[in-house]
Amino acid sequence: MTSVLASSRRAWLPWAVGVLVLAAGFGLQTQLYTDQERVVTAVLMYVVLAQSWNLIGGYTGYASFGQVAFFGLGGYVTGVLMWQLRLPFWWALAASGLLAAGFGALIGLPLLRLKGHYFAIAALGVAEGTREVITNLTSVTGGGGGLTVPTFGADAPTAYLGNDGFYVFFLLLAAFAVLTVTLVARSRFGFGLRAINQDEDAAAAMGVPTTRVKVAAFSLSGLLAGLAGSGYAFQAVNIYPGPMFDVQITVLMVVMVVIGGSGTVLGPVLGAVGLQLLSEWLRANYTTYHTFILGTIIVIAVVLFPGGLVTYVRGGLRTGQWSLLTSIRRYRL
Amino acid sequence: MSGAADTETPVLEVRGLGRRFGGLHAVADLSFSVPPGQVVGVIGPNGAGKSTFVNLVTGHLKPTSGQVLLEGQDITGEPPWKVARARVARTFQIVKPLRGMTVRENVAVGLLYGPDASRHSGAALRLADEVLERVGLVALGDVTPGELTVADARRLELAKALALRPKLLLLDEVMAGLRPGEIEPSLELIRSLSADGMTVLVIEHVMRAIVAVSDRVLVLHQGRLLTDGPPREVLADPRVIEAYLGHRYGRTHGADTDREQPRD
Repeated sequence: MTSVLASSRRAWLPWAVGVLVLAAGFGLQTQLYTDQERVVTAVLMYVVLAQSWNLIGGYTGYASFGQVAFFGLGGYVTGVLMWQLRLPFWWALAASGLLAAGFGALIGLPLLRLKGHYFAIAALGVAEGTREVITNLTSVTGGGGGLTVPTFGADAPTAYLGNDGFYVFFLLLAAFAVLTVTLVARSRFGFGLRAINQDEDAAAAMGVPTTRVKVAAFSLSGLLAGLAGSGYAFQAVNIYPGPMFDVQITVLMVVMVVIGGSGTVLGPVLGAVGLQLLSEWLRANYTTYHTFILGTIIVIAVVLFPGGLVTYVRGGLRTGQWSLLTSIRRYRL
Repeated sequence: MSGAADTETPVLEVRGLGRRFGGLHAVADLSFSVPPGQVVGVIGPNGAGKSTFVNLVTGHLKPTSGQVLLEGQDITGEPPWKVARARVARTFQIVKPLRGMTVRENVAVGLLYGPDASRHSGAALRLADEVLERVGLVALGDVTPGELTVADARRLELAKALALRPKLLLLDEVMAGLRPGEIEPSLELIRSLSADGMTVLVIEHVMRAIVAVSDRVLVLHQGRLLTDGPPREVLADPRVIEAYLGHRYGRTHGADTDREQPRD
């Protein structure tokens, strides 16, 4: 009882921190060179993607290895609407988010009946299949030759946002993603997701409509990734099926969430920031071995912090046990 | 016990309930009804179909034949979450705690999604303490299930069920593996739930528990109803002793010695 009351008394604290971080994001922008600004913009985009994966993989426990499908779909919806129909970016953005969410609900219904590895593989298949469809719809999407989003001149439905504009766009989108996950985590919906994650039979026995709740989570995760894809397509100008549906984007989402702490609000943020900045730093300083070193660091991090960094720190604070071995024993299968 | 209560609408009625797995009839042609407030013991040897029966009532399995009626309403084949919202609660034989959540959060799930669904997790967490109080777990609200003893894990399983404020409670071996000293509080709790008007089905191996708490005992054997009657009578029935305990126990021991012997 006391702890419930105590936690509600400090409930404003995370919100205050969130507002401060957002303000710091705006402040940081004024201090960055153009190259650095682009790097941070990419970090912010990965915060959105990591939170997207966190909803379905972290909270609900369905490891989606096809999450890039939503990203690619969002990007292509924006590209096609701006290129073919000359719709303004903001309309295309909304359409991308909604269509990705709808797509999540549509494929979620059959896919979320599968468990564990089967779901992971089926989701991967959906992403590959979506890319193939986009590639073959040449008349609509430009096919393998890609398409160019009109961004300059009188012809452009929405003028290019520029480095500063995209920084602000992805900063706000990241804030939106973190806010969404924060609200979900504290809500009835979030309790349903965590219950499903632990044991679906037990969850159903307590009245959780498991299918409905899972599909809603998948759809919401699709919305976030679709919005990110939309912004990315506009920023990239030239988009191709390969890079837009690159499986490596999914892998990065998974790694960021797992290292940071899956099923937590803060973990994916720390994972995205940490991994992207580390990757950039390694690329600049150890060009030849950068991928190898990064891979090694990821492996070590996963071994030492099996529940993710945030889970490790939380466990340490709660039990006073900071030994890495204890942490490994507690969270490893 | 049987004749007098028949005028009331039974809380639970099963008609010709059956479930086949391939060629195996796990439950076959099961028919009986339970009037409100009764505590019914359901016993039978391993593989008699006890857990299958529970799963058929709660919707975790779909019957291949027959009907399940809750207060006269047909709930056959409804999904488990709908059955739960109709105030049918259950425990699982192999406990199913939500491991990544605290004991209090476990109970809150039922309060958030059950028939009295509260919309706010904060309110549900406060209400959860009332449920935990009832099963004697309130002091362990902040603990995760992995840190609980076997007996406390069973209490949590019970608390999760009680979060639905059930009218029908199915207890699938909540006392298995407990020491005699740990069984008594569970029996007390079942009696007090019954006194509140709850209808309880106690699926159990522990004979002494069944006798102590049940108004009536059903015996399942190979998926069928073997007998149905007052506990003492049923347990004295030679067919029951043979079917349930087997020849070995039937000859050398009384019915009371099965499984409740303290383990060293």
